[in-house]
Order: sequence, then C-alpha cells, then structure tokens
Amino acid sequence: MSTIEKDAPALKSKLNKAEVKRQRVLLIVAGLYVVYGIIFYYLPLFGWIMAFQNYKLKDGIFGSQFVGFKWFKFLFDDKTFLRDLRNTLGMGVINLVATTVTAIGFAILLSEVRNVMGKKIVQTISYLPHFLSWIVVTSIVRDAFATKGMINELLQGLHIIKEPISYFMHTKYFWPIVAISNVWKETGWNAIIYLATITSIDPSLYEAAAMDGAGRWQKIKHITLPGIRSTIIILLIMNIGNVLNAGFEVQYLLGLGVLKPVSETIDIYVLNYGMANFSLGTAAGIFKTFIAMILIFLFNFIAKRAGEERLF
Amino acid sequence: MKSKKIIALALACTLSVGAFAGCAKKKSESISDWTMIAFMAGKELNEGNEIQEELAKKTGVRLKESWNTSQDVASAVGTMIASNDLPDLIDGGNGSKMLAEAGMLVAWDDYLAKDEYKNLKEMFSDKQWELFRQADGHIYWANVFGKTYGEPKSRGHNDEAFWVQVRVLEWAGYPIIETLDEYFDLLDSYAKANPVNADGVEVIPYTALCEGWRYFCVENAPEFLDGYPNDGSVIVNLDDPDNPKIEDYNVTPTAKMYFKKLNEVYNAGIMDPEFATMDYDTYIAKLASGAVLGMCDQNWDFAQINNTFIDKGYKELGYNYVPLGLVAEKGQTKNQWHAYADVPNVSSGIAVTTKCNDADKAFKFLNQMLDQEIHDLRFWGVKDVDYLVDENGLYYRTEEMRANWQNDAFRAKHVCNYSYLPQWGGTHRDGKNAMKPEDQESEFFATLSEPLKKAFDAYGYTSYGDFLRSEHITQLGFWYPMYSHSNDMDSTTDYGAAWLKMGDCKHEWLPVVITSKDFESDWAAYQAAYAECKPELFLAEMQKELDRRAALGK
Repeated sequence: MSTIEKDAPALKSKLNKAEVKRQRVLLIVAGLYVVYGIIFYYLPLFGWIMAFQNYKLKDGIFGSQFVGFKWFKFLFDDKTFLRDLRNTLGMGVINLVATTVTAIGFAILLSEVRNVMGKKIVQTISYLPHFLSWIVVTSIVRDAFATKGMINELLQGLHIIKEPISYFMHTKYFWPIVAISNVWKETGWNAIIYLATITSIDPSLYEAAAMDGAGRWQKIKHITLPGIRSTIIILLIMNIGNVLNAGFEVQYLLGLGVLKPVSETIDIYVLNYGMANFSLGTAAGIFKTFIAMILIFLFNFIAKRAGEERLF
Repeated sequence: MKSKKIIALALACTLSVGAFAGCAKKKSESISDWTMIAFMAGKELNEGNEIQEELAKKTGVRLKESWNTSQDVASAVGTMIASNDLPDLIDGGNGSKMLAEAGMLVAWDDYLAKDEYKNLKEMFSDKQWELFRQADGHIYWANVFGKTYGEPKSRGHNDEAFWVQVRVLEWAGYPIIETLDEYFDLLDSYAKANPVNADGVEVIPYTALCEGWRYFCVENAPEFLDGYPNDGSVIVNLDDPDNPKIEDYNVTPTAKMYFKKLNEVYNAGIMDPEFATMDYDTYIAKLASGAVLGMCDQNWDFAQINNTFIDKGYKELGYNYVPLGLVAEKGQTKNQWHAYADVPNVSSGIAVTTKCNDADKAFKFLNQMLDQEIHDLRFWGVKDVDYLVDENGLYYRTEEMRANWQNDAFRAKHVCNYSYLPQWGGTHRDGKNAMKPEDQESEFFATLSEPLKKAFDAYGYTSYGDFLRSEHITQLGFWYPMYSHSNDMDSTTDYGAAWLKMGDCKHEWLPVVITSKDFESDWAAYQAAYAECKPELFLAEMQKELDRRAALGK
C-alpha cells in the first residue's frame, strides 16, 4: 500500500554503530529467525543429493551410489506421475479459486450484517470446521455422499434425481467433492483475514458514498472490493505456491480404487512409490518445489505487470 | 523450636521411608517393560493383566503390545525408520525388509547357534531357516504362524475362502456348493426369501473389500478357483514337476470368468453397491451387523467379528461363517484352498530391534515363549482357574471358563496370548492335548454354536478345513509361498516398479469391470492397461526366485 512506499526511504538510513545499537533487540530477534531458517529450511536441502543417488538407508548419503538423473527420468517416463501431477494442479487450482471466492463472498456478506451478536455467532460457528481433522471431515463427507446419504436423500426429495447416485464410483464427481469439502472446512477461517481488512477500511469512505447516493451493492463494488484488493492479491500469490500441496489426507482417505485416476496427488504418489525408495521420493519433492517456484514467480510477475501489490 | 524439630524429624522419616521404598521397588524392577508393534488389528490388554504379570514374573519381561492397522504397512514402517522411533520387538509385516536394510534389526544367527535358544531353533528346519536369510547373509525374523508341533490337530481354517453364513446352508438343506454359479444362486435365493434380519437389518447377499492391501478379497480368487495354493501373487504351474513355471492368474480364462460373474451379480443387485468405496472399518461393521451373507476373505482378516456375534446373540441365529472351497468347474478335484501343510511366510515375522537395550534377554524371552509351561499359560491359562485336567490328563474347560475366554472384558484383564510371539499349533509336548484350546477336540465342539454344530453334523465334517474339500497335500513345494518374495518388492527395481503398477492398475480397474455395463469392452481395456504395466518383468523375476528356491530345496 502507499504507506509502505512512503516509509521506504526512511528504512534506507545509514547503517552506523549507533543505529545498530539502537536496533540491537530487533537484530537479535531477526538473527534468531535467520538461524532458524538456515537450520530448518536450508540445511535439509543437502538431502536433495539423495535424488541423484540409489539411496540406501544402510549406506547413507555418503555411501550411496550416484545415478545422475535416473529418478527424474523415471518420473517423466511414468504415466502415473504425470497423471498425478495433473490431478494435483487441477485440484489445487479448483480449491484455491473455490476457497478464495467463497471466503471473500462470505466476508463481505458477514461485514454487511448489522446485528453484532448474530455476526459474532455466525463467524464463530463458520470457522469451527477448520479445527476438525481431515479424518473426521472425510467421514462426514463419506456419509453425506453415500448412496443412502444426506445429499442423495435431499436430491431425491426435491425430485432432482430419481435413483441415488454413488458419488464415489464415478471419477467426475471427485474433484467437486474435494472442492466442496475444502470450502466447507475452510471458508469461515479464510474469511477472517478479509473481514479484518474490511474493518480497517476508512468508514468515512462509506459515509461519503452514502451522501452521493450509493446503495449497498455500489458500496461493496466501489469501496469494499477495491479496499481488500491488495490483500486478495498477496494471499493469492502466497497460496499459489501451495497449489501443489493440493492435498494428501482428503484424497488419500476418499480416493479408493476406481477414483485413483483422478484422486492420486503427487504426495500420494510419493507415499506409494517413494516409501522404500527414498531417492524417487526426493526427486518428486524437488520437482514439486521447482514447479511451485515457477508458479510464484509467474504470478508475482503478472501482479507486477498489472501494477498490483506483490510479494517481491 | 521444639515443634520445628519434630517436623524436621517427621520429614526426615518420610524421606528415608520414601528412599527405602524406592530401593525395594528397584529390586523388583528387574522386569523390563518393553514395547511391541504388530501391523494387525488387535485388542490392547489392561494394565496389570493377570497372566501378563505372571509371565513377567517368569520371564522378566512385560511386553506392551500395540496394534497398528494402517492400510499401508511399508509407509508406516518407513515413518518409524525415519523418526528412529521403534519398539523393542516388532512384526514389521511388509516393512520387515526395510527395517533389516536400515540396520534396525538384531540378527538371529548367533542365537540360533546356541543351545540356550533351542526352542527358537526348533521352530524351523535348517533348510527353512535358510529361506529367512536376507541378502546380507543374516536372519532377522521368524514367522510365528502356521507351525505344527507333532501330530496336526488344527480344526480351524485361518486362510482364504468364499464364506457363507451357516444359516444360509441350513435354509437350503445343507447342499454341496462347488461353483461360483451355485454359490451366488444360493445367496440370491436366500436373500430373496429372507430380505431382512431379525433385528430389521437389510441383508447384503455378497460384498467384497477393495481397500488398500486388503483388496485380495476381490483380487486373488482366480488362483484358488483354478485349484492352486495361496502363492499370493502368482500361480506355480507344476504340469512338469521338474520345471515349475510361474503363471499370472490375472489373465487366465478363469479370471475373466470370475470377474464376469461378479459383474453379472453386481448388475443383478446381489452384490453390495458400496463394495468399491467402503474402507476396512465399514466392511467390518457390515459383517459384524450380521447383514452380509457371503464374501471372499481370509479368516484372520475378519475373525474379530466373532466376539460381537457372541455379545449380540447372533451366534445362535447362525450368522457365523463357514468356508466354501469353490472351484472353476463343477467336478474339479484340483483344490488347495485349505493348506494341510505348514507354510512359513518368510517375508515377515517377529524381530528384535536395535532399540532393545538387552538383545540377549529379548531372545531368551522369545525362547521362553515356547517353553511348554509358558505356552500353556498363554493359550490355556492358569490351571484350575482357566482349565481343568481330567483323569486321563486331558485339558478341558467348564462352560463358565469358556464364556470367560470369549468375553472381551475378561480377556483384557486376565488373558495374555502375546499372539504375535513364537507359538505352536498341533500337539502338546505331553502327546495328548492340543497346543491351543481351539484345536482340542472337546473344546472345539463345545464352543461351536448350535447352528454350526448342526452343519458339522449334517455334512459329517469334524473341522473347518473339511468344508473346503481340499486335496490332502501335506508337502508343498519348497518355494511356497511365492508371495514372500513379491511382498518385499519396491520401486528401486524395474520388476518392483512393475509389481506396484500392476497393483495400482488392478485397484483401479477391478471395480470398473465389476460395475461395468459393457463387460467385454471394459475387460479388454483393463487387460490392455494391465499389459502396459509390464507384468512380464515381474513374472521373470518371480521365475528367477522360484528357480532359486527350488534349487535350495533339492
């Protein structure tokens, strides 16, 4: 936001002894994080060597035989891996879009509620599912979508379908089910940050708009949405990097047998094929990181070109 | 001042008493509290379980068993290795080889050579022990199941079969069921006549579990239907006895016939519509509700429902299952559903980990488990409390004792089998009794429910094995079972990768062909997808291993 840009030159003040002394507490705290980052994020990268070896637990990193790009070749020759890559990207993007849109929509709706009590209650209830573990959520989903489950009964009751559908027998329903589960679980939680941003919008803007005769819809369109735009972009960029973490639990728990072609993600692939074969698992992990970085840079670049807020 | 002194004195007394108590406690603490994990369903014992305490006194080890039912054993073991978080003893299942390769298991070799551990040595012949030897030249585990001491006494059938609730047979007048057609006709006609159970539960004529590694329930029947024993991943064709040949049961005409039949019954509404999407817990819940008339499964995979049947009184309603040994063609005599020979599964078993601080004691403990006295305590219980001895020296139980041993709550506080530690079936060292009560003739018949007893009488059978009408083959090929080799495979080899792919392909396609509206074209598509997994690489490796084992056995 503009305030950051105005402050920016001030940060560039000379780095002299007095300045260091003045900021020593900050520097120490920051230093701790740098050390933490090095230990937990950068040192483990050493293990990437395994991807280029026939890694054996017994021989360790130093004793295992080097095989070059064998495992990467294995991955790209493997239809299963390419299929799982597609699934991961597909579900990742659908989840990202679905959860973002619903969270923004929900936050706006909630911010329009005038009854404080009602607003608080709805907000609390709506973010509770976030704290449920996937194993619980998947049992609920499994029950709800069962042949004799809630959804089928509802649709039959409304005469939309005649025969119950077995949702878990057809590949076409799987991605939507995963998206719905994600939306159900995360909407309330994700909305919190948007709600907070909406609250910080200067109320005088709304008052001025009201003076000019703007209605609710116009206020949302011209004040609320532009007001949270930069938050949306930043969160999108950050979440883009997570697209490849489209999920493990929900797909693993719901995606049995027939659904494998659409449910298996890279993480599940790594579990199935990489558990006794650490080299292959590492290679898949490296590849995933690589894609995630490309996505972040790409989206950041787009945001930059569009003159929007960006990460770096 | 005085009061302060008194308080100080009192405190000092308390402290020293505490210290002495500490000492006293320490003395009896020569009992090691160890942990053990098995990748199977099991019941945890109560703290202070009576027989467990007795065993602890006798052996100096109190073993806390945990049961891990994760559907993917190799990954659970992988996680344990990665976090270096191991129990003292482990049955690593499919992950056993990984544990050994990671150097996490203690080798048995030195112990087997010593006389002190002769009970362990006695478990297998020298040749059989050779099969347990890993690539690095050591033996790391011993499988504890399927071993007979002396004369065979087994009356159970712990393995795979097409099962049917005994009430169905009774209803049909105890027919002999030989083929899939007869089997499904029986289930269907019973379900049509009795669509709802006494408690209002709708019956499910047939179901098949497809989840994770347990998908053998749907997958490997063709091997048995053709009359082969459970080599698991392949068939060993013995048409030329000197040149055993590996064959793939996934592509045989019988496989097609079997899946076509499943497709037919699925479309006729005889098969559970949820079969492909249920997980193991759902499956067990369905069986335990008494709703399922028939399924194909290994007995150990669902035996846990028996206690529910007792609790709910389903036992008397004839919900218990009996096995049927179906064959591909009527009149086929080739049938090895029931194995009359001992079959060591060399791919897994009980192992001591490097985490255990006293390996000598651990092996001594395992050895003691096979002492007759300890073995009796584990499986028969305490004399005069859990069993009585008649004038001929035969063990027996009273009704009350039997009821106790079938009661979960009682078992948790009193009974301690250590069911994944070394054990024997067959005849007691006294030459009269059975090693385990369920094999003792008097106990076996006394614990059968009324409907089961009637079925045994009607057919004139004296063991569950009889129901399967299998050939009495007491000596299987030395290579048997071949699945102990495929269980060890992983993606580091091309044949291992092919094996994993074949499994994935079957997981994906079998439900598709079973639920298909156009079986022929889906079957062709499945076979094409299967061929793409390069099963020939896998089969060639299995042939190599078969030849190796066959040579070892000569």
